[in-house]
This record gives sequence, structure tokens and C-alpha cells, in this order.
Amino acid sequence: MTTQALLRKGLTSTQKRRYLKNFGNLLLCLPLMLVILVPLLYTLSISVMPADEIYKNHLIPTSINFSNYVKAFTNPNYSFMRFILNSFIVSTCVMLGQMATCSMAAFAFSFLEFKGKKVLFLCILATMMVPGEATIIANYLTVSRWGWLDSYQALIVPYLTSAMGIFLLRQNYLTFARELHEAARLDGCSNWRFLRSIVIPLSRPALGALGAYVFLSTWNQYMWPLLVTNSSEYRTVQVGISMLYDIDAEALGLMMAGVIVVIVPSLSIFIFMQKQLINGLMAGAVKG
Amino acid sequence: MRTAASIKRIAQKPLQVRAYERIEPFLFLLPALVIFGCFLYYPFFRTIYLSTYLTNKLGQAKVFVGLKNYADILGSQSFWNSLLVTFEFVFIVALGGLIMGLTTSLLTANKFPGVTVASATYAMPIAIASAAASMSFRMILHPTNGLLNILMGTRIGWTGDPAYALWSVAMMTVWLASGINFIFISAGLRNIPAELYESASIDGAGYWKRLFYITLPALSPTLFFQILINIINAFQSFSQIKLLTQGGPGEATNVIVYAIYRDAFFNFRFGTAASRSIILFLIMLVITLVQFSNEKRSVHY
Repeated sequence: MTTQALLRKGLTSTQKRRYLKNFGNLLLCLPLMLVILVPLLYTLSISVMPADEIYKNHLIPTSINFSNYVKAFTNPNYSFMRFILNSFIVSTCVMLGQMATCSMAAFAFSFLEFKGKKVLFLCILATMMVPGEATIIANYLTVSRWGWLDSYQALIVPYLTSAMGIFLLRQNYLTFARELHEAARLDGCSNWRFLRSIVIPLSRPALGALGAYVFLSTWNQYMWPLLVTNSSEYRTVQVGISMLYDIDAEALGLMMAGVIVVIVPSLSIFIFMQKQLINGLMAGAVKG
Repeated sequence: MRTAASIKRIAQKPLQVRAYERIEPFLFLLPALVIFGCFLYYPFFRTIYLSTYLTNKLGQAKVFVGLKNYADILGSQSFWNSLLVTFEFVFIVALGGLIMGLTTSLLTANKFPGVTVASATYAMPIAIASAAASMSFRMILHPTNGLLNILMGTRIGWTGDPAYALWSVAMMTVWLASGINFIFISAGLRNIPAELYESASIDGAGYWKRLFYITLPALSPTLFFQILINIINAFQSFSQIKLLTQGGPGEATNVIVYAIYRDAFFNFRFGTAASRSIILFLIMLVITLVQFSNEKRSVHY
């Protein structure tokens, strides 16, 4: 009886200690969580705040109104819907394009034998060392010479492949048994069919990682779209929200509503594809 | 091993099939190589070429001037200011990002209820575009109605005052970079073998002792790698400069990438902009080489 009581008491006290420790852990995490979250919550708060309260320095709106969102989408001088559509088209094309070109190149580098394989692979890896900003001027001049300024091609084509994608998929393909390829070849399966119906289905997780990462980084692009688009017909969202400032520098709420609309797809990818995104990011870190 | 059967199989193949098999790998590589050729190799050499020319407003090379563009840049006060500003910016961002990432990784190293939410929050900035974040911070740093001034009860023009502009943009970039720092450092933390800690806890080492004598030394290769990633990323920052300060006030935040943009797209001096790009490339090359040489002899405990 006494031992039981002691045991119970002992258990509850260790439990209590564990609760305290857990609670303390969470409490320690909180300040930096706020550092990350407050800018986003503040943006959200300003976007639904009546204009006069912004200028009265309110932090939280007394009433919620969505007029900024309505304004962002219905302003005749400003085609926000179009920007979103453009970004979706561009990001999707770049994503699919990279999945295709990178899986083809990675296939050649991991399953096929040919002259100059090592040198070519090194040449591709070396591209990771060249910062995009170092070539952006020459690229801009190329694209403008071809008459591609203000077009989807200009936004999509330069990004249709990446060394990081090739590298990521090649690492994945190298884990597949080479006997698989030999057996398929002996059975008369062409390389194209082998890639399409065996390699790609098997490498779905790696492709998912590449896809999530590429879609997000294209969606988030700013400098290149800023340079190659002038008309609102081809502008992308990131350039679009920065233009909200030019329309009306005083419309702070409108700007924040734009930011929220643009962040929602990014955060959805982050929330639903966190694992793939992080895998893609880790492969692409060298490029940055 | 080449079996008789496979040799026979090759011999049996018509000449055309064999020729196709030889070029087939290149067909798989073709799309990637064409894109790299047009938008990476060609522009890279084109940039070097342009950097030795005076260009007209359309960016066409007109007069060969050799290294004069470089001499002009290296002789201008503005360039050295720009370099100094860039190094300051990169230093703050690389170190700030690292501290932020290390702290958040250590905070979420143990399992406790809510740790997934905390981790997801710390990783979140990886998903946020620098342009969108810049617009947000434009509001936060607003001189009269912004959050920061409201909280501090001040009226500081964070982005308009030369004393604060660089720090403001850099701290905003630290916020943005904290996500990737968290992800890499916490991955490094998970890779530290548990045995290291077991013997330490038997010896009765406390949290701080374990942190300084086991965790940080074992983590040092990760931290070094991460600091280089931070440096490389920080060198390439553009959106926040363009959207928050336009390189100003004066030239207080005129980092190299922004100076390239200004040269090429405001002054239409593509030649000097190209020379600046090459200088940027050389700086990054040195950093990358440091990274490679470190990877070869990275210390492990």
C-alpha cells in the first residue's frame, strides 16, 4: 500500500517534471517563432484593416474588411488576375520542362556509356559556380535581340534546365540496379521506353522534390521577370506586387493584400509538400 | 564481361542501328545542352567579351577598349564603396543567418509536443519570395505607420536614413535566410552520432558543456558549409535592395548586384556592367574554391 502510494507519487512527480520540461521547451521556442510569424501576421492584419486605422497606427483591425483584396483584383489599370495567371503558366512550364530535360540528361549520365561523359558532366556541374547575376546582362541582350522581350518564351526558355536538377536525378538513378536496364534492353525495350515507363515512375519522389522546388523558385523569381517584361500582359506576380506601390504609394493596405495573395500559393506548397521542398532545396543549396 | 552472345548481338546489328546507338546518349543530353549553351555558356563568354568594349544603348559592342572598363571601375570611389557595402551586408547576413539557424536548430533538437509546429515555423521563410517579403518589410519599416516604429515608439526612417538603411535591409535578409539555415543546421545536428553524448552524460556533463565540447565541434563542418552558402546567397541579393532602398540613400546600400543593374538598365553602360559582373563572378569563384578545398579536408571529430 505504502509502496504503491510512493510509486504513484514518484510517477506523478517525474510526469510533472516532464510536463514542465516540455512546457519550458515550447516557451523557449516561442520568441523566435514570433520573430518569423509576426511580419506575416502583421501583413495580413494591415491587408484587412480599414485605411484610417492604418494611419492611427493600429496593430489589429477593429473590424475586418476585404476591400483591399477587391481593389487589387478589380482595378482597371492593374490586372492582378493576369499576373497570377502568368506566374502559374510560367512556373508550370518551367517545372515540367526541367523535369523532362533533367530526367533525360540524368538518364544519359547514369545508364548510358558514351565518349566524353565525364567531361560533359563536369561542364554541367561547373555551371553551378556561375552566379545568375554574372550572365544576366548578356542574357537580357540575347533575349531582346531575338525580339523576345515581353513574351512567355523569355520567362520560360532560359530556365528549362538546371544543373541542380540533373545532379539530383542522377544521384537518384544511380541507386537503381543496372541489371534492370540490361534486362530491359535484352527484351528489346528502347532507352526512351525504359526511361518513360520504368525510370520515371521509380524516381517519383526525386522528381517530386525537383518539381516542388522548381515551381516555387520560379514563382518567387523577381529580377529576370523585372528585366524582360514591360507590359502588364506578361508581368508575373512578384513584379506585379512591387508595382502596386507605383500605382498608389499611399495605399499600404492594398500592397499588403497583394503580398498575401502572392504568398498563399508559396505557403501552400510549403505546407503540403514540405518534405519534397526541403529535399529539393538541399540538392540546390550549392546554387542558392 | 563481354560474352560471346553479346558480341554476336552487336555484330548482328545493322550499321545504322549501331550508329544510332552511338549518338543516342547525345540526343538525351541535347535539350539540356542547348539551353545551357544559349543561356549559360554563351552569355558567360559574351559577358567577358562585352567587358572589354564600349557599348551603345542597345548593348552592341562598339569600341574595343581592352581592360579600360576594369581600370575605370577599380579607379572609381563608387566601386570601392559598393564593394565595402557588399561585404558589410554579406557579413551581417551570413553571421546573422547562422546564429538564427543555430539557435532555432538547438531549440528544436529535443522531442516535445509542438516541436513540429515550431520546426515548420522556423523553416517557413524558405517558401517566401524575397520580393513579397520586401514589400512586407516596407510596411514594417514604414517611418510613421510601420510596426517597428510603433513597437519602439520611434519615428526612424529605417530605409531612408544612411545610418540604418544597410542594417535594415540586412536584418530583413537574415529573416529571409533563417529558414534555409535552420534546415541545414538541424540536419547537421541530427547527424551527430548519439554515442558522443552517451559517454558525456555518464561523465555528468551539463547542457552547456555538452554544447561547447561536443555539439559545436561536431557541427563545425556543417556550420562552415552553411556560412559559405549564406555568403554566396547574400552576394546575389537584389529584390530587397531594389524594393526597399534602390541602393540609397546616397550609395549606402549600393551592393554590387544592384550596381550592375543600375549600370546596365539606368545608364545603359552595358560594357562596364559586364566588367562588374565578371568581378562579381571572380569573387564568388574564390569563395566556391574555398568551399571545395574545405570539403576535402573538413574536420571530423
